[in-house]
Amino acid sequence: MSEENMEEVQMLEAQIEHLQAEVEALQRQQQSNQKDITFQFRGQMQDAIASLCGRGPGGEKERVLSSLKEEVEEMEEDLRRQAQMNGISLNGCNARTLRSSGSKVVQQLCLSGRCSELDFQVEFKLSEVKEGQKSQRTISDLNVVLDSNDLENFSSFVSSVEESCDLLLFFRTLRTFTDRCDDRNRTFQHFQQKYPSIVSLPGGCRSGVMALNHAELSGCVLLVRWSVDVSTEGGVSPNIEVLTKIPDQALKLFPSWPFGGAAEAFQSLLRILGVEGAVESIILILQQEV
Amino acid sequence: MFLAQQRHYSQQNKGKDSRNMETASTKAGVLSLLSLLEVQARSRRTQPQQQSRVKELKAKIEALKVQKQQLEAEIETHQNLQKLRSSLDKQCADEEDVEMEEVSENSQLLRLMARHTQLKDLLHAHHLIGGYDVIKTRQGKGVCVSLATAYEGVYLDTYNLEIDLKPTVKISRHNIPPFIPVNGLAEENDMQVNMRAFLDALSQHLNAFAGRKQQLKLLKEQHKSVEVMESNVLCSILVLMFKVPRAKTAVLCTLDYTDHSRCLPTRVHFECEDKQLSDSDQWKKNHSLLMETPVHKALTAMKNMGDIV
Repeated sequence: MSEENMEEVQMLEAQIEHLQAEVEALQRQQQSNQKDITFQFRGQMQDAIASLCGRGPGGEKERVLSSLKEEVEEMEEDLRRQAQMNGISLNGCNARTLRSSGSKVVQQLCLSGRCSELDFQVEFKLSEVKEGQKSQRTISDLNVVLDSNDLENFSSFVSSVEESCDLLLFFRTLRTFTDRCDDRNRTFQHFQQKYPSIVSLPGGCRSGVMALNHAELSGCVLLVRWSVDVSTEGGVSPNIEVLTKIPDQALKLFPSWPFGGAAEAFQSLLRILGVEGAVESIILILQQEV
Repeated sequence: MFLAQQRHYSQQNKGKDSRNMETASTKAGVLSLLSLLEVQARSRRTQPQQQSRVKELKAKIEALKVQKQQLEAEIETHQNLQKLRSSLDKQCADEEDVEMEEVSENSQLLRLMARHTQLKDLLHAHHLIGGYDVIKTRQGKGVCVSLATAYEGVYLDTYNLEIDLKPTVKISRHNIPPFIPVNGLAEENDMQVNMRAFLDALSQHLNAFAGRKQQLKLLKEQHKSVEVMESNVLCSILVLMFKVPRAKTAVLCTLDYTDHSRCLPTRVHFECEDKQLSDSDQWKKNHSLLMETPVHKALTAMKNMGDIV
C-alpha cells in the first residue's frame, strides 16, 4: 500500500512541476505584454479586464460596461475639444514600446492627421527618463510626410525641423501656414464672387494667383500673386505683389495709365489699406470705363 | 524467536498427550497473530502521513490549474484587444465607419476597451504635439489651458492659463513670467474673438523664450572657455567674450534678440582691439553664422575652424 502511495505522490509531484513550469512561462509572457504602455490599464479599464477574465463577482459585467461606456464618451468629447482648440485633428496614433526598463522608456510613435486641408503623417521616437521626481522627455528621429503637391516653400522648413527634431515648432508652423493659406483662399473666393467678370483664378485658389482682367481691354491683365513663405526658422510670412501683363499696343494707346508703376503703387496701397482694401481699389479702377 | 519458542514448547510437550499439543499450537498461533498485528500497527502509523501528503499535493495542483487558467484568460483577452485595436486603427485610417457586428456583452466590452486605448493614445498625441490640453472648469464658465515649450527635441517648461469665459472672456490666473507680455498679446490678437490666435502668439513667445534660455544653458555647458559677460532673464541680450588663439586679443560679442518671438538674434556685433580681425572675411562668416545658427552650435563651428578657443 505504501508503494502505491509513493507512486501516486511521485506522479503528483511531477504534475506539479509541469504545471509550475507552464505558469512561469505564462507569467513571463504576461510581463512582456505589460511592457507595452498602450495596454497598461488603470481604473475603469482594470475593472473591465478583471470582469472579462472572470475575476470579481458575477453580475458586475453590466455595471463595468456602463461605467466604461461613460468614460469612453467623455474621452470622445475631450478629443473633439482638443481638436477644435488645437486646430489639428488627429485620426491615428500608433505607439510601439521599444524599451521599457526601470527609469527609461522609449516608444516609437506614428501620428497621422489633418490640419485644415493638409494631411500629414509624423513619425518619431519618444524617450522618457526619470530622474527622481522629475522626468525628461526627448524626441529623436523625426520624420515628416505631407500630402500635398504644391508645397515648395514649405519643404526647406520641413527638412530643418526634421534635423532639429522640433516637433512642437513643426505643428505651430503648420497651423500658422494653413491659417495664412486659408486667409488667402477666402479672400480670393470673396473677390471672385463679388466681381466675377473681372476676377478669375486661373490655377484655382491654391495656386496663389488671382487674375484681374480689364472689363473692356482684353489682354490687359493684372496678376495678384500671393505666396505664403516659410523660413527654416518657422517664420510664416505672406507676400503679396502685383504683376502686370499689358500688351505694348495698349501701353502706347493709353500712355497716361499708370500700369508701369502698378507694382509699387500696389505696395503703397497694401501698407495703407491692407490686402482686401488694396485689391478692391485696383478692381474698382479696372471697372472704370475706358 | 517465536519459532524457537514453538519448538521448545513442542519439545517440552513431546511426551504429553494431545491436549498439550493443542496448547502448544494455540500458543504458537497467538504469537504469530501478535506478530501480524504488530506489522499492521506499524503500517497504519505511516499511512495517514502519506494520505495527507497526497491531499496536499492535489490541492496544490488545483491551485496551479486555477492560476494557469487565469493567466491564459488574461493573455487571450490581451491578444483579442490588440487585434481589435489594430482593426479599429485600420478602419479609422481608411475612414470607414466603425461597425458594431457582434452584440454579446463580452465583445461589446472588448470593443469599448479597444476604443478606450485608441482615444487615450490620441489624447496623449495631442498633448505631445504641443496641444493646449484645454480643460473645462467651473461648470463650463471657464477653461484651463497648458502651453508646452520645447527646443530641439527636448521638452522644457509648461505654463498654465486659466481663462474665464463668462460673463466676459478674460484671463483669471497664470504662471507665466512677467517679462512675457500676456495681456498685450491678448489685446493684439483679440482674445475675446479669436482665442486660438492669442494662444498661438503666446505659445510662440514662450517657445522662443524657452529656446533662447536653452541655448544659453547649452552654451554654458558646452563652451566653458567662452565667458558670458551679460545676460538677462528674458534672454534677449547676450554678451560673450571670445578668446582668439594665437592672437592675444579677445573679441567681445553682443547678441541682441529684439524680436522676442524668435530664438535667433536680430543683431550681432563684434568688438575687438584688433580692427583687422573683426573686419576679416573669416569673422564676417562668423557674423553670419551667429545670425543664422543657434549660438551653442555656432560656437562649436567656430571652435572647429580654430577661430576661437
